[in-house]
Amino acid sequence: MGTMRKKTQVSFVIRDEEERRHKNGVSSLQLDPIQGRLYSAGRDGIIRVWSTATGVQDRYIQSMEHHTDWVNDIVLCCGGKNLISASSDTTVKVWNAPKGFCMSTLRTHKDYVRTLAYAKDKEQVASAGLDRAIFLWDVNTLTALTASNNTVTTSSLVGNKESIYSLAMNPPGTILVSGSTEKVLRVWDPRNCSRLMKLKGHADNVKALVVSRDGTQCVSGSSDGTIKLWSLSQQRCVSTIRVHSEAVWALLATENFSHIISGGRDRLVIITELRNPDNFIVVCEETAPILKLCFTADQTGVWVSTSESDIRCWKLPPLNSLELYNQNNYNTNNVYQTQPLHNIPGGPAIKHYTVLNDKRHVVTKDTANNVALYDVLKASKLEDLGEVDYEEEVKKRFKMVYVPNWFNVDLKTGMLTIHLGQDETDCLSAWVSAKEAGLTTENDQKVNFGALLLQALLDHWNHPNRVNEAGQRVIGNSYFSVPLHTPLIFSEVGGRTLYRLQVGDAGGETEGNLLVETVPSWVVDVAIEMAAPKLNKLPFYLLPHSSCQSKQDRQKKDRLVANDFIQCRKVAEHVVEKIVGGGDVNGASAGSGRASANEDSGNDAPEERVELLCCDQVLDPNMDLRTVRHFIWKSNVEFTLHYRVLKQ
Amino acid sequence: MSICQDLGLNFQHRMGANISQLERDIGSEQFPPNEHYFGLVNVEKGKEEFDNYMQQDAHEFLNFLINHINEIILAERNQSTLKVQKNASGENVTCNGTAPQNAEPTWVHEIFQGTLTSETRCLNCETVSSKDEHFFDLQVSNCYRFNLIYKYVGESYGFGGRWSWNTSITHCLKCFSDTETLCNDNKFKCDNCSSYQEAQKRMRVKKLPLILALHLKRFKYMEQYNRHIKVDGIGRFPLGWGCFNTSDDAVNPDRLYDLVAVVVHCGSGPNRGHYISIVKSHGFWLLFDDDMVDKIDASAIEDFYGLTSDIQKSSETGYILFYQSRDASC
Repeated sequence: MGTMRKKTQVSFVIRDEEERRHKNGVSSLQLDPIQGRLYSAGRDGIIRVWSTATGVQDRYIQSMEHHTDWVNDIVLCCGGKNLISASSDTTVKVWNAPKGFCMSTLRTHKDYVRTLAYAKDKEQVASAGLDRAIFLWDVNTLTALTASNNTVTTSSLVGNKESIYSLAMNPPGTILVSGSTEKVLRVWDPRNCSRLMKLKGHADNVKALVVSRDGTQCVSGSSDGTIKLWSLSQQRCVSTIRVHSEAVWALLATENFSHIISGGRDRLVIITELRNPDNFIVVCEETAPILKLCFTADQTGVWVSTSESDIRCWKLPPLNSLELYNQNNYNTNNVYQTQPLHNIPGGPAIKHYTVLNDKRHVVTKDTANNVALYDVLKASKLEDLGEVDYEEEVKKRFKMVYVPNWFNVDLKTGMLTIHLGQDETDCLSAWVSAKEAGLTTENDQKVNFGALLLQALLDHWNHPNRVNEAGQRVIGNSYFSVPLHTPLIFSEVGGRTLYRLQVGDAGGETEGNLLVETVPSWVVDVAIEMAAPKLNKLPFYLLPHSSCQSKQDRQKKDRLVANDFIQCRKVAEHVVEKIVGGGDVNGASAGSGRASANEDSGNDAPEERVELLCCDQVLDPNMDLRTVRHFIWKSNVEFTLHYRVLKQ
Repeated sequence: MSICQDLGLNFQHRMGANISQLERDIGSEQFPPNEHYFGLVNVEKGKEEFDNYMQQDAHEFLNFLINHINEIILAERNQSTLKVQKNASGENVTCNGTAPQNAEPTWVHEIFQGTLTSETRCLNCETVSSKDEHFFDLQVSNCYRFNLIYKYVGESYGFGGRWSWNTSITHCLKCFSDTETLCNDNKFKCDNCSSYQEAQKRMRVKKLPLILALHLKRFKYMEQYNRHIKVDGIGRFPLGWGCFNTSDDAVNPDRLYDLVAVVVHCGSGPNRGHYISIVKSHGFWLLFDDDMVDKIDASAIEDFYGLTSDIQKSSETGYILFYQSRDASC
């Protein structure tokens, strides 16, 4: 148990080379007040950096790309020199913040890493998530890691019984609090990893936490809709704040712990005086549930991120005026601000997709109702169709053709991610005629979609076996190539990412060595060794049609096996050659049958001599067998074709 | 209608008998002499799924039987509708295309089918989605909590592989609607999040059937033994009860039930054994053991709780329980 190695799958993302906008919700925000930069952690897997300077039209500075799933949390440390990120790809990454490159990857967690906490005075970071473990990291150790010196010792805080969704530390690092589906707060002393207490009171998951600088107070936000102020010295709940109508997901406390700003599922940002919870003001109403709040440099405004991709900055009311507003019969139907100070617009996330029957093209619809057409085989977008009727576009492209499934589509990042594996969906199962696929004009060439794509994805990899007898480099895919910026990801099926690189970088020496370690043998076989994947055999019965008055072999049921993609024309050829031509009245017709099959000259084509039927429906000679079985026979058993002789 | 209900019960009470016996019953006594019903078991016999000389699982057989009867009824229904429409092409070509499925419920549904609602809340976006599922029987197993208890008992008292704990069916049914967290490798694919997230799921009964079949999961895979072990003592099953943990929009939440039949598994392991059945008929409890039929006292049913220390007796445990709704008296 547990020792069985999970199968490796190959994935890639179809996207633009530069994605300047978030394509999905934004889970976390961090401000660098000195450099005037805002860091945002996207559920599209990308951390983006924005300028907060006034009067800037385009705030985008750069993207930090290396995660392969949602980035759930980030902390900026070392005075803005480094950024630590936590992701659903189960890793924690250390970044050079100004330059935006990934310095190292920590793979200690076994499930989604949901949350981070930062003790500024000690440069210590804690990470936690769905694997129930909390790890403590010394940032200075992490930033000193190199390729050769890459072992980190970490302390772990154990005892959590359920998945952790929130963490907080005070700046001196004397108190750490965790919130989980267990509905209790667990409090630790991170200096000696000892458990201090368990605080009960919430009725649901605890999703947001803040601890005061001195470590004596803590505020928690829960899915039960309440905010609770706790005294850690007295180990009790001091007050329960009920200002939100739904789950509380984000908290931000003022420096002196006098006020708490909160946000959550009800889309409202509310500021409340902690010692007098009756004093509160709705700062603004966002368009989607709020995920993270972050002060502006002068603390007069708040940056807000939501489960949509826009990031907005809202003006906060002066803290001493809360009572004033409250006295003026201020109620929740009114909001303090209706227009944000700043808006960093995000892009739409793809929400729906339909794989067309050719199992190559995918129609998508995003959150802005834009419809687009993709070509999975070439890892590219073909066309933006705009705000058109999605169902109609899918229907319009219907083709009566059946190709086996060979890839899986994933929309978790809001961009199109394609998985190629060998599990329920075997990526090597789709053989098609190269001519039908528009790859060549020559007849009788068959190609395997999955093999072609794997060859294109790994074309730049200088694998030692990629040379022919003459010592020349063999090009894997002679039909097409895929965009060089395409992110290529190797991961355990449904689990941890092993390696991510861009298609164009596979030629590098370091990348090549890592690929040797990661690429599973079944991929090497088809992409490098150019081994042909197995053909799918389709068994079927062939009988004379009841209207056909042929006297002999009336009851004989021929059981045949053929490649699933062969066309009915081939079966007609078989009938002409082996049944009608070969066994019938005279040798002359048999001879002509053979000639027409081989040379296709002079005599009638086989499809003009024999027609094939399935369920009494005359078949198009160009239709392949699996399509006939899927659309006409509509069953997996006893697939039966009939033939009718038209001309002897 | 009343014939159908009788039928339901007669199917059940012959569970203890072998299949050819059952087939004979179905053919001669309960059904009008209709060849379709003769073919009932023979169809599958070709596949040797229910070979007479193989050990069979009564629950699998019940499922098969219910589904098969249903299929036959639907097929007949389709044929009769087809006959009306057809006779135009006139050819006897067997078309294998999917015939228009007649969605109308059959009497099998009316008797055995209930509805469960599963409510799933994504722990990331906290959106609740609910889905209705139909069932022909409810599987009652020891929930996680009970697992712990009986493991504890087994280990501390050194039962040496014979696991035993004591709880009641009613308790198990309550656990049935306990919240289950979908996590680790079993995360929930949330439509709203377009990704796999942790979720909390609970099942509640939305519609109770006329005949409620409870399948007691007595076989549990034990990793340390690398095989299935028969778990005794899921416990006492009451002769009558009501009060389910039903959903808010439940159709018939206060239905009361009476025990009318029990399929008993005799034997210590999951791979072999013998089935007998006890059936309530005209106010008497009858025990069917192949061709032997005995009248028994209602109190003797307790012997099949699987609680006694008598090794001989404790191997004879109720496996499938059939409860009849009190308002189904027609």
